[in-house]
Amino acid sequence: MKKYLSVLLAALMVLAIMAGCGGNGGSSTPAPAPSGDNSTPAPEGTKVWNVANIVNGNLGDKSFFDSCEAGLKKLQDDGLIKYKTFELGATDADQPKWVSTLDELSADGSYDLIVCGTYQMDAYLNECAAKYPDQKYFIYDAEVAQPNVASITFKQNDLGYLVGTAAALMTSSSMEKINSEKVIGFVGGEDGPVINDFLVGFIQGAQAADPEVKIDSQYVGNFYDTGRGKEIANVMVNNKCDVIWGVAGGAGNGAAEAAAEHNVWFIGVDSDQEATFSASQPQMAAATIFSGLKNCGDGVIYMLNKLNDGTIEWGKTTQLGIAEGGVGLTNGGNFQKLPDDIKKALDDVAPKVTSGEIKVDTAFDESFDVKGLRDSVRP
Amino acid sequence: MLQSIIGIIFSEAFVFSIFRITTPILFAALAAVVADRAGVTNIGLEGIMMISALTGVIFSAWTQSAWIGLLCAILLGMLTALMIGFFALKLKTDIILAGIAVNMLGNGGTVFFMYLASGDRGYSANLASKVMPTVNIPVLQDIPVLGGILSGHNILTYLAFIFVALVWVLLYKTPMGLQIRAVGESPNAADSVGVSVNRIKYIALGISGALAGMGGAFMSMGYMSSFNTNMTAGRGFIALAAEAMGRGEPIGTMLTSLLFGFADALANNMQSLGLPQELVAMTPYVFTVVGLAVYAASTLKKSRKKLE
Repeated sequence: MKKYLSVLLAALMVLAIMAGCGGNGGSSTPAPAPSGDNSTPAPEGTKVWNVANIVNGNLGDKSFFDSCEAGLKKLQDDGLIKYKTFELGATDADQPKWVSTLDELSADGSYDLIVCGTYQMDAYLNECAAKYPDQKYFIYDAEVAQPNVASITFKQNDLGYLVGTAAALMTSSSMEKINSEKVIGFVGGEDGPVINDFLVGFIQGAQAADPEVKIDSQYVGNFYDTGRGKEIANVMVNNKCDVIWGVAGGAGNGAAEAAAEHNVWFIGVDSDQEATFSASQPQMAAATIFSGLKNCGDGVIYMLNKLNDGTIEWGKTTQLGIAEGGVGLTNGGNFQKLPDDIKKALDDVAPKVTSGEIKVDTAFDESFDVKGLRDSVRP
Repeated sequence: MLQSIIGIIFSEAFVFSIFRITTPILFAALAAVVADRAGVTNIGLEGIMMISALTGVIFSAWTQSAWIGLLCAILLGMLTALMIGFFALKLKTDIILAGIAVNMLGNGGTVFFMYLASGDRGYSANLASKVMPTVNIPVLQDIPVLGGILSGHNILTYLAFIFVALVWVLLYKTPMGLQIRAVGESPNAADSVGVSVNRIKYIALGISGALAGMGGAFMSMGYMSSFNTNMTAGRGFIALAAEAMGRGEPIGTMLTSLLFGFADALANNMQSLGLPQELVAMTPYVFTVVGLAVYAASTLKKSRKKLE
């Protein structure tokens, strides 16, 4: 018996070791790149770029990183690139790996292009890009001012404006699940510029649609504590919110659960969350009215096409908004339950935001007082 | 501001949420109590909770039974804790290192196994898992205020508080408990009267793993209805602090766990009053420091009195 137990435990151990490697994508050292592409480079435009994709989180988030991965996959299927993804995990304990992997891949020199994202990487990339001036980089959803980096940012404030417009009109409407109080909620991940950019647009859009609407905004403090996301959304429901936008990665799923339990509306972010939930969580799918999309994948495709046709500007930032397909709303599924006047209002607002007729402030403008705005609209 | 905070604290929903938030911490803290009293520090609670949270989701999805999911979560929790024991007691590695290894396994390994089981990586979108039922207590639920606070919780919340009593009985009223405490306090003395020290340590770790497993199952099958990577978010470590603050006593640990639950619930509410998130996030830890300081001051006073 004892012997069997030790054999069993030993087997578990081996499994554990394997899992430990597997879970992190075995990414502590970069794999040797496919041979033969260090020779004379083909003329620009015909070359199949060799791309390394650094994910400072995990794929399978069904939103942010998956979107970028899907974009790269499409480019590979179209024969424009071949790529390899390095998944590094999201927690504080994983952070040292982010910078070391970035450094190793840059030193390796066999990748034509290294792609990474999020404002959590920008300081690391800034150092690394200065250290390896011959290496080219894309960074999405953050800005790095180095001559060998092309930055892609998204006008999430414009997206927030659209979502805020819809949410304010919803809470003032006579739709199902809507109470008499005009209060809407915003569950953010971290109190940082990207998340606040969503929030600023959300508040301004909501206030423009109906100045009486109050906005309860709170942060989880990270992007993975689903329990806290749910608790915060519960508090918002107690504060009479009937539409809640979750902009907190995985933690946003907690807010969606709370919305489903208390029969209020949830708005998804980054990808079509109604579609994601529908596989196993029908109540959460039913509670999701629509999602605000941030198309990281389309952003990467957009930039690679610019690289191929030679119009890319290194050292510059490209901002993708509604017109470029960088941000937008899902319009299938529950979106169709919106009353026609709300849909019409969205159709009216979108071109005005694109053309600049409606100017949405941004949290990246350091002189803009996010806290003041946030506190001025609290219920 | 103060008035609205007091208004929140005395609301039904707030007190109700304290019990819900406390549940996973309490399970893990009780797990820490049992292991610690046997002289084995189980620092792998966080990892065990993650592993059990995933196990519960996978098996309840496959069998379409929440109870089988819970049972599997408990079993795998036990097995993982025994693995720590195997490393530490049989192979003589440092038990802290073994615990850290389990925490890393809980972080990366769960992603790997979820991918194997369903093709999902960050969130168990393709696993239609089950949730443990909530319980409405007859009679009690009809009493105003008290009914709203004490009735309608998840069955695992009630189990957590029942287990406080069970762990107390185990430690102080059973021969096994006596042996556990003896091994924890003086393994040589226990050994000299014929107690198999390692056997008792394995048993304590097994119980510890089962308790942490229930805490993990609550995360994904009660608190939430799905598995998300890193979803335990440090609760296993907060439980270690709760156990230390509770001085390894089941009742004391329950009280400190409730204190953490209270602080967390308060933190969630304070943000909506416009306090900055960073300040609010500190609340549970401020409570810990203040609690420890008060405790240290009172014991110091007592020992001075004795000297006089």
